[in-house]
Order: sequence, then C-alpha cells, then structure tokens
Amino acid sequence: MPKTPDSARSDTAARPGSTRRGLLFGGAAVSATALLAACTSNEPTKKDKTPATDNRPAADSAPGKKVTIGFAGPQADHGWLNAINENARNRAKKYADVTLDITEGSNDTAAQIGQIQTLINKKVDVLVILPTDGKALTQTGLAAMKAGIPVINLDRAFASPQASRCYVGGDNYGMGLNAGRYIGEKLKGKAGAKVVELAGIDSLELTRLRTQGFDDALKNYPNITKVARQAAEFTVESGQAKMAQLLQAQPQFDALWNHDDDQGVGALRAIAQAGRKDFLMVGGAGAKSAMDAIKADNSVLKATVLYPPTMSASAIDLARALGQGKGIGGIAELEIPASLTLYSAVVTRENVDDYLPTGFN
Amino acid sequence: MTPPDLTKAAPAQVAAKETASKGSSRLDVRNLSLLGVLAVLIAVGGITKPEQFLDTGNLQLVLTQASVIGVVTVGMTFVITSGGIDLSVGAIVALASVWATTVATQEYGFAGILFTAVLVGTACGLVNGVLIAYGRLVPFIATLAMLAAARGLALQITEGRTQMVTVNSVLDLGLPDAYVLGIPPLVLVFAAVTVVGRLLLNRTTFGRRTVAVGGNAEAARLAGIDVRRQRLYLYLLSGLCCGIAAFLLIVLSGSGQNTNGNLYELDAIAAAIIGGTLLTGGRGTIVGSVLGVLVFTTITNIFALNNLQSDVQQIAKGAIIVAAVLVQRRTAHDGT
Amino acid sequence: MPPDPAPPPTPLLTMSRITKTFPGVRALDGVDLEVRPAEVHCLLGQNGAGKSTLIKVLAGAHHPDSGRITWAGETVTLKSPTAAMRLGIATIYQELDLVEGLSVAENVHLGHEPTTAGFLVRRRTARTTTAALLTRLGHPEIDPNRLVGTLSAAQQQIVSMARALSHDVRLIVMDEPSAALDPDEVDNLFRTVASLTADGVAVVYISHRLEEIRRIGDRVTVLKDGRAVAVGLPARSTPTRDIVALMTGRDVAYAFPDRPAPQDRPGTPALHVQGLCRTGEFEPLDLTVHPGEIVGLAGLVGSGRSEILETIYGARKPTAGQVAVDGRQLRAGSVRAAVRAGIGLAPEERKAQALLMLESVTRNVSVSTLSRFSRAGWLDRRAERIAAQQATREISLRPDNPDAHVRTLSGGNQQKAVLARWLLRGCKVLLLDEPTRGVDVGARAELYAVVRRLADEGLAVLLVSSEVPEVLGLADRVLVLREGRLVHTSPARELDEHRVLDLVMEGSPAP
Repeated sequence: MPKTPDSARSDTAARPGSTRRGLLFGGAAVSATALLAACTSNEPTKKDKTPATDNRPAADSAPGKKVTIGFAGPQADHGWLNAINENARNRAKKYADVTLDITEGSNDTAAQIGQIQTLINKKVDVLVILPTDGKALTQTGLAAMKAGIPVINLDRAFASPQASRCYVGGDNYGMGLNAGRYIGEKLKGKAGAKVVELAGIDSLELTRLRTQGFDDALKNYPNITKVARQAAEFTVESGQAKMAQLLQAQPQFDALWNHDDDQGVGALRAIAQAGRKDFLMVGGAGAKSAMDAIKADNSVLKATVLYPPTMSASAIDLARALGQGKGIGGIAELEIPASLTLYSAVVTRENVDDYLPTGFN
Repeated sequence: MTPPDLTKAAPAQVAAKETASKGSSRLDVRNLSLLGVLAVLIAVGGITKPEQFLDTGNLQLVLTQASVIGVVTVGMTFVITSGGIDLSVGAIVALASVWATTVATQEYGFAGILFTAVLVGTACGLVNGVLIAYGRLVPFIATLAMLAAARGLALQITEGRTQMVTVNSVLDLGLPDAYVLGIPPLVLVFAAVTVVGRLLLNRTTFGRRTVAVGGNAEAARLAGIDVRRQRLYLYLLSGLCCGIAAFLLIVLSGSGQNTNGNLYELDAIAAAIIGGTLLTGGRGTIVGSVLGVLVFTTITNIFALNNLQSDVQQIAKGAIIVAAVLVQRRTAHDGT
Repeated sequence: MPPDPAPPPTPLLTMSRITKTFPGVRALDGVDLEVRPAEVHCLLGQNGAGKSTLIKVLAGAHHPDSGRITWAGETVTLKSPTAAMRLGIATIYQELDLVEGLSVAENVHLGHEPTTAGFLVRRRTARTTTAALLTRLGHPEIDPNRLVGTLSAAQQQIVSMARALSHDVRLIVMDEPSAALDPDEVDNLFRTVASLTADGVAVVYISHRLEEIRRIGDRVTVLKDGRAVAVGLPARSTPTRDIVALMTGRDVAYAFPDRPAPQDRPGTPALHVQGLCRTGEFEPLDLTVHPGEIVGLAGLVGSGRSEILETIYGARKPTAGQVAVDGRQLRAGSVRAAVRAGIGLAPEERKAQALLMLESVTRNVSVSTLSRFSRAGWLDRRAERIAAQQATREISLRPDNPDAHVRTLSGGNQQKAVLARWLLRGCKVLLLDEPTRGVDVGARAELYAVVRRLADEGLAVLLVSSEVPEVLGLADRVLVLREGRLVHTSPARELDEHRVLDLVMEGSPAP
C-alpha cells in the first residue's frame, strides 16, 4: 500500500493510454492503479462541465433502431479520463435511439471484469471498453464477442484482435512525430538550433513512443540537436522540479517538447520563475489550460499536440452504427474498420478555436 | 559511607569517560560524514558542470527544491526520533495543497490559502495523533490509513484536475522579485523551520521528552512523562510541517494537485535515516536530516545538469544511499 | 558416571592466556580456564570481571586477540558459533535466544531440522526426539507442540537446554540460569544439571549466588578485572569469606548498614495504602510507610510483590482501594499523579523500564524533573547538568561524569542513576523493586548504604526483593506475602531467614 501515491501517478500516466504497441506497460501501470482503487472512493463526475465534443452531426444521425451501449472505463481520477466519460455521455445524449449504460469507473481489474460481465448479462447491444489493463481484460472481451456482443476497444488495446470488433485509440508515436515536425519547421534555417525534451514517466511505453517519434522527426532537420532530456512524472510538481533543473543545465536553447500539459503547468511555472522567454514550447495531450495559453499567446507555449479524449464520442458513434448494422459515411467501405488510430493534431494559435471545446480540465 | 568499589572500575571508567567525551560530539561526527558526502558531490558537480553547477542560480535552485521536502523531513525526524513513523506525509501535503487551492479558498486570497494549508495539515496530524496516542493504533497502520484517506479526499476534491492558483500575491512569492537578499522566500521558510526544529529537539523539554519516548517509552511513562500526549503532539507537529510544506509547494508550482507529495514519506524517511536519526527511535538530529535532504537534492541536480536519464539516476541514487549509510556507520563506529 | 577420584582426568577444555581488547577496555587479560569432563565448573566474578566476554569467546561469538584453546587435546580456533556448536559446545545465555512464535520442537531443532529429501521437515520425528530430550531433562510435562512464548521462564530454559542437547554436546555453558527462577524451579534446574553431568557432559555454570555454587559446583574459577585470580578451587570446601575476598577484596559481613534503633513513628505516614487490590493478582492490602522507614515486602515470584508496587505507583489500575501520600489521596491508576505526589519507582527491569540506554547520565537523572530546568519549555542545560551531577555525587555514582553514557555503567551504578532521578525530583516515597538484581556483591553493599542513608534523611522506602537476606538486612519492618495475600508483619529484627521462608512456603505445594 505505500505504493499508493505512485499508483496515483502512474494512473495519470496511463491516461493517454497505449496503442496496440503499448501493451507492455499495461500490466505494471494497472497493477499499480488497482491498488489505488481500494483507497479512493468513486467520485461523481462533475455535472456543470460543458460538453467537450463538437456538435457536428454523426455519420448518420437519422433515428434508427434502438441501441443499448454498455460503457466500462477506469475510474475518472484525472482530467483526461473525466473528459472521456463526459464525451461518451454527451455524445450518447445526442441520439434519441441510444441508451448508454455506463458503469462506475474502477481501477481494479477484477471489479471491471465483473462490471462488464453484468453488462453482458444485461444483453446490451454493443460494448465500449476502455480497459484498466488491456491484457487482463482480453478474456472478458473474448467472452463478450462470443456472446454475440460486438466490442469496441478504446485506447488501451486488448492482447488479441479477436477480443474486439474495432479498436479506437490515440497515437503516441504520432504525438512525438508531430511535435518534432512542428518544432523543425519553426526552427528551419536556424543553424545550430538546440531543443530540450521534458518527457513523462520513463518506465511507460507511451513515453518511449513519444520520444521515439520526436527523435525520428528531428532526423529530418540536421540543423537541430536535442541537447537534453529529463523525465518528469506527469505531475505539476515534478514538471516544475525537472524543468527548473533543465533550465539551469541549458542556459540557452530554442525549443522545448513537453510530453504532457499537466506537468506543463509546472514547467511553465519553472520557466516563469527562471524568467526565461528565449524559446518556444510545445505541449502534449490538449488540456484546456494549455489551449487557453496558446490562444492568449503570452507565454512560451505556442502549440500542443493532441491525444484527443473525443475518441470516446467516436466510439459511441461506431457503437451505434454497429448496433444498427450500418457503416459509416465518408468512406467507401460497407463495414466499420477494424482499427481506428486517431491523428495527433498540432493545436496552434491559428487553429486553437477549433479545438478549444475539446480541451479538458 | 564506604568508598565505592573500584575493583573493576579502572578500565571501565576510562572507557566510559572516553565514550562520554566523544558522545557529546557524536552528532557532529555523524554530520561531518554527511558533510563529507556533500563535499564529494559538490566536487563532482563542480568538475562535470562547472559553469552551471557552481552558480548562484543553481544554489538558489537546489535550496528551493529542497525546501518542500525539507520541511516535511523536519517533522518526520521528530516522529522517527520518538520511535514512530508517519507514512501519510505525502498524502497530507497533497490534501492540504488541493484544499487550499479550491476556488472557494482562493477567494480569501493569500491568507486563506496559507491558513487552509496549515490548518488541513495540522488537522490530519491531529487525527493521526489521536488514533495513535489514544486509539492505540500502531503508527504504521494509522498513518497508512491516513495516507489512503487523504489521497482519496484530495482526489475527490480535485476530480483529478489541476487547480491553478490565481492569487497573484501567492504566485509572486515564487518569483525572483520576491527574493530577499538573493534568498528565495521558500528557502527562508525552510531555514526557519530547521532552526526552530533544531532548538525544539535539542533545547526544550518537548524535545527531551520526544527522545525519551523514543528511547524507552515504558521508562518514560514510569518516569512520569505523559507519553500519549507527547505522541499526540508529535504527529500534530508532523502534520503542521506538512501543511507548511503544502503552502510552499503551492507557491513553487503555482497550483494544487492531488498527485502532489508523491512518495514524500519515503524521501523524508530516507533523508532522516542517512542523516543519523535512528529508525528505532531514541536519537534524532535535525541538522543531519537537513543534510540528508540536501544530499538527495544535490544528487538530483547533478544528474539533471549532466542530462543523465532516470534509469541511471535511480541506480545511482540507490548506490549513493547505501554508500552514505556505510560511510556514516564507519564514522560512527570509530566514534564510540 | 561418578567422577573418578584417583588421577585428575584429562581436561575437556583448556583455555590459556586468553586476551581480548575492546576499544578502551581490556576485557580479558590472560585468562586461564580448565574444564574437566562431567564436572560442574563455576565461573565467579563481579559484573565487568570478564565473564560474559569469556563465555562469548567460548561460544565462538568473540575472537580472542591472543591465547590458546585446547579441546579434547587438540588446539582449536572457534571461528563462529557454528564452529563451537560443531565441537560440542553449547551456550545458554541469560536472555534466552528462543523464537517465541515457534513451537518447542521447532525451537529445539531450529537450524538443523530433521528432513526428508533435504527440505521437507519431518515434524513427527522432531516431536519425538524433542519429547525424548525433555524427558531426559526431567521435564516430560512440556508439550513439544506448545508455543515457546506460552511457557514460563523456567520452562523456556529447559527448552534451551534441550536445544543444546539436540546437538551432540559435551560442554554446556549456562549464564546465570537461576536468575529468573523461583526456589523450587532452581531445584529442578539443579537436578537437570546433575543428570547432564551424569551423562558425562561438562557444565560451566555462572552465578552470583554463592550458595548455589556450594550445592552443585565441583570447582570454581574466580575472575577479576579480566584475569583469573583463582583457578580450579574446590567448590564446596573453599570458605565463602575467601571467595568473596577474591572477588571483591572485601568482607561480606559488612554488607548491611546499621539499622537505627526501633522507634515509634507518630504522625501521618508518608505512604498509606488502604484496601488496595487487583483481582487475580493480590488481595486487599493495607500498609503504611513512615518517613525514615524502610519496609520490606518478602515473597516468592508470583506472590504479587511487583504488582503491588506498580499498582501503588499507578502503573496498574487497582480494582479497589486507595493510595495516599502525606495523607492526600492519589488519583488511581495514574503514574503522573503518583510522581507529582512524590512517589518514585526503581523498577525491576532496569533497562526495560527505567533507563534511556542511549542517553547520558544527566539525561537519565533529569528526565522526571525537566520542568524544573525549563522556562516556557526552554531547557537550561547547564543548570540541569549541575543538578544531576549533584544528585549523582550524593550517592557516589561512578564514574563522576554526568556526560557518561548510562549503558557504559555497571549494574549498580545504573541503579544509582535511577535513584538519583528520584533524589533529584525530591520524592517522599521510594519504591524499590529488586534493587540489586544484576548488581554485583561489592556494589550491593554500597547500594544498601545509599538506601539506608536516604531513609535516614526522611525518605519512606518500600522494598521488594526475592532475596530474603536482603529484605531482612535492610528493612526495618517486613511484610510477608504469599499468593497475593499478606500473611505476616513484624519488625525485621524479630525474623530470620528460616522463619520467613517458612511463612513464604507455608501451604505451598511441596516442590
């Protein structure tokens, strides 16, 4: 149990989830999160929040056959996970023909298995599952599929493709790649440019993917060198501490790639404390506070790379289409794709207004 | 009265005198060995990164980063000296920091934030103390329960969201303009807590009773000390330190978050132990604890300046803890 | 196997010119020891004479700096406790090293469990062999399955011996085995020792009690200041006077200070106990102690002596009854109330209940009087040190150094540190529980003198001791307890040891 604070942290960390490649870390992260579940109550989600999803109509918004969608996710103990729940809820409300049966989030694998079992027994039409641990819930996904209930696997991937009908998730490698490209373009033509990286928890696969993508992107810009990298812990406190050290270590650099907007709050604080303004900063995840800062354009933060929580709204769309036996519009396929990896868009001052509604607290 | 029996006294007495004369300086010996470790670290930092390491800004940075955990460690040192343990410090810091940064609290400005942080910390300490002193719970269990409960409450308050501080007077306290003669206010608070802690432990009846309770609780009770009340005060003190630390953390990070204070309990215990406080109680040194904190912070600083990655950092940190304790034990051994 | 009187048998163990130095102390300074097979060899000496160091060398726990050890004719080095054990040397320490949470059988076989395939413990075999060993020791009533923690001290000692015998042991070292035992248990112990020697096992027996050595010893080696001042004296025929002289250089006859003439003591008693009782421990008790008076409580272990003292002191809550100091009633069950009213306790377990072993003499002495040296919680450390030194000088605590660490003091001086604590506090009633336990003979006399002088200065003293001569020699008035009940009260000079023992044992089942 003394590990609990750690679990609180890795929970945050696990938030942006893993891609299909991200299965490795799942066990560790979730065994830690499972510990937390025993210690924390399930708090109600805040009701007064504005819907984060955009209001564009879904592929086929005409009412159809009634569909009951079961939704099971981890405990919403972090802004991003909160946003996932709210996006799902608000999306479902838009459809008169959709009933959403959402479980109380849990970080305990066993509890989540039980909750999904209940949903299967209730014979919901489609299941959307954001597993606490993709690997550990694979069997449950398989069971649902065998019971004839199509499963949409959200963000943290199952170990077997048979366990879900469709996977929807973010792209950590793409986050790093797009952050690197953005910085590369901004520093184009500047000889001997230096960049610094403030990474997330190093023991997580997603952190390595983000770093890998970033490094790969920088290879296209020979004028840029990455001079320092330190790993924080996805928390404000660690962001401040590590950034302060980085600023002391590097008296001059041109750009900063920070993996996470939450630790970015601390990083920005350290930057203000050091009185530094001589570089541009790119964040990650898409927190509302980061978008506000980008829009205001009064700090070094110029962009943030999304890991969109709207994926749960998309999952509801897909679930509804599956339940009604439809495809989705806009592509030639009759069937819904088996996998959907979301694009990690770069939010800048130019397009921030488009994305602001999706920013999470 | 007959002259005392000295038949066996000669060698033993000499030995006793030797021990005694060294005994009074023992803490200094211990501290010296830690100062040695610190000196080696400073040499390493100075050689590897002379420009960035040997720099006023870096000194300010190291001391500032040490302040929050340092204040927590002072409180922890008291608890450990009394033979107890407080596993809830990190969680209390988290709870106090988020409670003090809620929208409602921030309406009361600087005083509201400071007061709430200190009050919440002290209240948690009070609960710990009552459970341990009067509820007769083992400190390990009572503070573990507090750890879980405080983290849970912190999460409930924030819903996992980061609470930004909007009170400018609080924010400004963490900026260079607030430095007093080049010293960050956080460092001043840390220094003040250290001085008060040292005096309290070494020069007051409270400190003496703390040591007595830690050295032999039964003997202290039979000597007429109110052991339970003393325990209550000690956990209260630890909670108070957590409250102060929470305020410092709010100033430092400009926010409150439920993940704050992560693993502070382990860092504080480690710093106190390598500082020379006995985990079994009965002996404690505030200066040692603070040196322990500075050793850890300096290590982190040197690693960051040399751009070592976290895997290497963790391995090296573990090795340094073992080395510091070994060096210290050897020194202590020579001293007795 | 009765010892053969004709030629002296070949020694089983010879230790010659053993030296061992610790930083600042030469603990052993050329000690010789010779133990023959099947004999009980007694090792005598005051605390600090080097007994513990010597037996630790013998157990392989300490390595001598120089000297030679011969075992059954061969020179050996005892590298570790295991090496000593392998030769057949077992040591039973005063603080028994048993695991309380394990059963008797498990303890006996700890570290060398009978196994199948190298790891499966054959529990039945372990139980049978344990039962056999216990029977051999004359204690078949101890169940091998019982948890050691539930056994009495005497039974635990038997288990310790069984453990020693579970190895192929030829020499058993016993460090003050009778210290924690009642008289009838001591008899049992002696029978066990006799049966061991009958089997050819040699015993090195350490004790403070001369009369025990007379009863079971064959030969005696006396240690003083790390040297053997007498080797191999006949245990039964050497006059006590000579042995005491060898140990201390003083005559034991002067041990007790003169008692003042009996006098009427009118006025309010310093301590007045009325109807005090604790169910299951002792029955309602009335007693008074006047200023200047020493009252002794005599009784066996289990007669409720210590419980009475601790209840008077408030460390245990009484079922009923009152305690008054100078006529003022105390809040029941509150140590702080007792201390504030002027009661001081020197408890039985000095190290566990009274002393702060990591601290200096000053801090041990001042711990009950801190507020006197403080203003608003701020300590005047100089005043504290001076006052503590004054108190310790008054009772001749050695060394005369208030900064000395209390753990470096001898047992007698540690006890004086406890007395100085109450002296400094200026208490009116002093409760002494086994004040000379672990204190060597020479230092006892000094303690007796201190206690008497404190009484002469107006202190009321209530004394508990399991050593009848101590109660008789020191107290003015003696109360005899049996099974939690007061059975006799009279002036000490009207009693002798036999009478007290009769009173104490009367009605007790015959051992």
